[in-house]
Amino acid sequence: MESTPSDVEQSARARAAEETLAALVGEYSGALYRVAFSVLRNATDAEDAVQETFLRVLRHRDTLHEVRDHRVWLIRIVWNIVLDRKRRAKTRPETDDIADLARILPASGLSAEARAAAAQHHARVLGCVEQLPAKEREVMLLSAFEELSSVEIAAVLGITESSVRSRLFRARNLLAELLQHSRGTK
Amino acid sequence: MNNFEDHRTSAPSTVLTDAETTLRLVAQLPAPQGLEGRIKTALNAAPQSGRILAWPAHRTGWLHSTFVRNAVAAAIVLAVAGGGWSVYLHVRPAEPVRAIAMPQRVAAPGQFSSAGAMRTPQSETAPVVPQQAVTPAANPDVQKKKTMKKSVPAAVAPAAQR
Repeated sequence: MESTPSDVEQSARARAAEETLAALVGEYSGALYRVAFSVLRNATDAEDAVQETFLRVLRHRDTLHEVRDHRVWLIRIVWNIVLDRKRRAKTRPETDDIADLARILPASGLSAEARAAAAQHHARVLGCVEQLPAKEREVMLLSAFEELSSVEIAAVLGITESSVRSRLFRARNLLAELLQHSRGTK
Repeated sequence: MNNFEDHRTSAPSTVLTDAETTLRLVAQLPAPQGLEGRIKTALNAAPQSGRILAWPAHRTGWLHSTFVRNAVAAAIVLAVAGGGWSVYLHVRPAEPVRAIAMPQRVAAPGQFSSAGAMRTPQSETAPVVPQQAVTPAANPDVQKKKTMKKSVPAAVAPAAQR
C-alpha cells in the first residue's frame, strides 16, 4: 500500500493544523479563560467555555491558516459562547455571583478587616457594573483587559471603533453616577 | 492598548479609578492549574473528522483513484436525478376536489348528541309570498259606481240636485 502525493499532502496539512491548534491552546487558553470568567464568574463554566471554543476551532482547523488575527478571532468565539451560555442558563441570582467573585479578588490589606472592606468595595463596583446597559457593560468588561485595544474590542463585538469609544464614554459616566449614588445611599 | 485612559476626563476620576481597579483585578485573575492539559485532552478525545461521508484515504489502486471516485459520484448523482425526473413525468397532478365531505359529528361521552337530527337548508322549501290585504280598488262593483258618478255632465248635475 503506497500513499499518493495528495494523501501525503493532506496528512501533512492535518498535522500542521494540529500543531497550530496545540500552539493556540498553549498561548491563548489563559486569556480566553479570563475573558470567560469575567462574564460567567464561575471557574467551571469558564473552563467549559474555553474547551468549547477550542472544539469549535478544531472543527474549522482546515481554515485556520485563513485567520489573520488568531487572538481576536478566539476571543470573539469565546465571547459569543459565554454570552449565549449566560443568556440560556440564568439560574443563580446575580448577587451570589458578585459576592463569590468579590471574595476571591486579591485585597491590598493583610488584616481580615481590610480584606472584608475590599471585598465589600469590589462587590459594590461589580453590582454597579451589572446595572449598566448590556452594550455599555460589554465594552466596559472587555476594556478592562490590558491586551485588548479599541480596534480589537470593535472586532470582537462586530462594531466600529467609534462605537466602542462612545459606548465606553457612556459606560464610564453611568458607572460614576451609579457609584456616587450607591455611596450616597450608604 | 489601555482603553480606560481614553475618556478619563469625562467622569469623576477617583470613583472610576477604584471601579476600574476592580475590573482589572477580575481581568487579571489567573487561569486554573492544568487548564491547558485538560483542553488538549478534550481535543484529543473529540472526534477527529467532521465529515459525514469519508472516503478511504489511504488505499491505492485504480479502483480508488480520483477519476473513478468522481465517475462513481457522477453516476450516483445521475441515477438519483433520473429517478426523480421519471417520477415527476409519470405522476399526474390530482384533480381539484369539488365537494367537501364533512365528517359526521360524534358526540363525546358524557355530552349531548345530535340524536340523528339533520340540518335542512332553508333554500329547499319554496319561498311563501304573504297574502295581500283586499283593497277597495279590487272590488269591481264599487269601481263601476265611482266611474259612473264621475261621468255625469256638468249641466245635468244641478237639475238632479233639485
